[in-house]
Amino acid sequence: MSQTLLISGPPGCGKTSWILNRLQNHRGPCGYLRLAGYPDEGLVQAPDGGIDLAYLQDQCPRLLDLADPDQALASRPANLLALIELPQFQPPADSGLAGVDRRVIPQLEAMHLSPDEHLHFGRDDLLPRQDTLDFNSLQALERNLAGSVWDPASLSSFWFELVNGAYGDVYRAKALMNLPDGQAFFCNWMVSQEGSQFLPLQSIAPPDCRPERLSRLVVQGKDLDPTALEHTLADCLLSDAVLELQQAPLRQRQAPSRPSPAK
Amino acid sequence: MIAMAHAVISCLHANFAALEAVLADIDQQGIATITCLGDLVGYGPQPNEVVDLVRQRSIPTCQGCWDEDIIEGLNACECSYPSQLAERRGHLAHQWTAEQLGEENKAFLASLPMTLRRDRLLFVHGSPNSQHEYLLPDMDAFAALERVETAGAETLFCGHTHRPYVRELRDGSIRARVQDGAASGAPSVERQINLPMRRIINAGSVGEPRHGNTNATYVIHHEDTDAVEIREVPYDVERTCRAIVESGLPPIFAWRLRHGFEYAERADDASHVCER
Repeated sequence: MSQTLLISGPPGCGKTSWILNRLQNHRGPCGYLRLAGYPDEGLVQAPDGGIDLAYLQDQCPRLLDLADPDQALASRPANLLALIELPQFQPPADSGLAGVDRRVIPQLEAMHLSPDEHLHFGRDDLLPRQDTLDFNSLQALERNLAGSVWDPASLSSFWFELVNGAYGDVYRAKALMNLPDGQAFFCNWMVSQEGSQFLPLQSIAPPDCRPERLSRLVVQGKDLDPTALEHTLADCLLSDAVLELQQAPLRQRQAPSRPSPAK
Repeated sequence: MIAMAHAVISCLHANFAALEAVLADIDQQGIATITCLGDLVGYGPQPNEVVDLVRQRSIPTCQGCWDEDIIEGLNACECSYPSQLAERRGHLAHQWTAEQLGEENKAFLASLPMTLRRDRLLFVHGSPNSQHEYLLPDMDAFAALERVETAGAETLFCGHTHRPYVRELRDGSIRARVQDGAASGAPSVERQINLPMRRIINAGSVGEPRHGNTNATYVIHHEDTDAVEIREVPYDVERTCRAIVESGLPPIFAWRLRHGFEYAERADDASHVCER
């Protein structure tokens, strides 16, 4: 039987992690949609820029993108688990489906989606409760990093500085970052949890160019300093010449070894 | 006055407030003999003030890697930077410092010796081999002993790592079996050389701590008892942070100093010796 769930909650409460867990445990086809959410007083929603979808599709390669117009028109497969993620700062006034933000309903209808259940972090016991925060004000900052490749040690230093407040008071940071060996990492940090997650993507790009996959940084917090952050990014990303210097030996190592001439 | 005690300071990194606080602490102990292990400049906002004060106080000083790089017109040993970010920031600090430092002070840094020696005490910035080599506390004991012994010292004072420590190297021995090749069948001769106890004392850093908090560190060596005291001195960190921002150095330097982080991380390879 197909099921459509709407999952809402504030930034960094663990929505995407919970969704990934549900997707990985579902035996049938799965679909995912991330709605943009709405700002609240003094609280800005961070544009996700496709990070969550890209990460979930890497982990669940057959995941359907429910935002794709073709998907909306196609007939849905049987036993589909459709999970809809909605960033929402404040808990809904009403329980269950009655609590769904009225503003999202036309969007869902346009995509032929009708939730069977609405779960909100901090309200519904089915979801973990420990991660929710009270926000009073929040800024957002995002940077498209498409085609960018990081010096790995610099990425480590930058992320340390970012989550420890060097560029403002950060509550939430997530990113997809490319490394010169073709690997990419989903970097994830939230103020309510100890430590950062650095999760490698399963797809590895060939070490012969700049990867074409989505790469982006999204930060939410207070008193963010985009200028300082931009300076540091410029010092961390590899130039074409340095990237080639690092990728050339990797290509040589990967090339099939030639048979030695017969004696 | 403590007649038989001397103080050793290192890695001042153009942090004037920290240097003033440390010298005041040394004066308060009644210690007259001070030795400086170099890196007077680099990253921090007051290179001239720091060099001037060291010169005014006539503190015997050996040359650090930053002191060498500033006068040689080189950026600090590029192969020792742990990341591109650290390298870019290091270059920026180098360029800024080279522009700020007066000619007299550059000449003073150029005149500094690589090592200073007092009886069986040897004073260096990094190691007797190089200003760029890190003698970390967990370095292989035999290699550490070799550094001290081949330099002809009983106690080696160093800095560079920015983390103060005292390491005793004792119970070392070398056993060798020698076979006389000319007389085949002759019995081999076994020799054992017992190595004397040696010590490495790292003075930490006055201007750029890497020991977990913002306090400046230095050491006092009581020669009569051979005891070593690692001193931590609080100072006005905000004064230095303000000077960093006002001087036009990257504000991230101020953030890092305020939180007890070094300006640039140490090299991954602790035993790295620059072949430049």
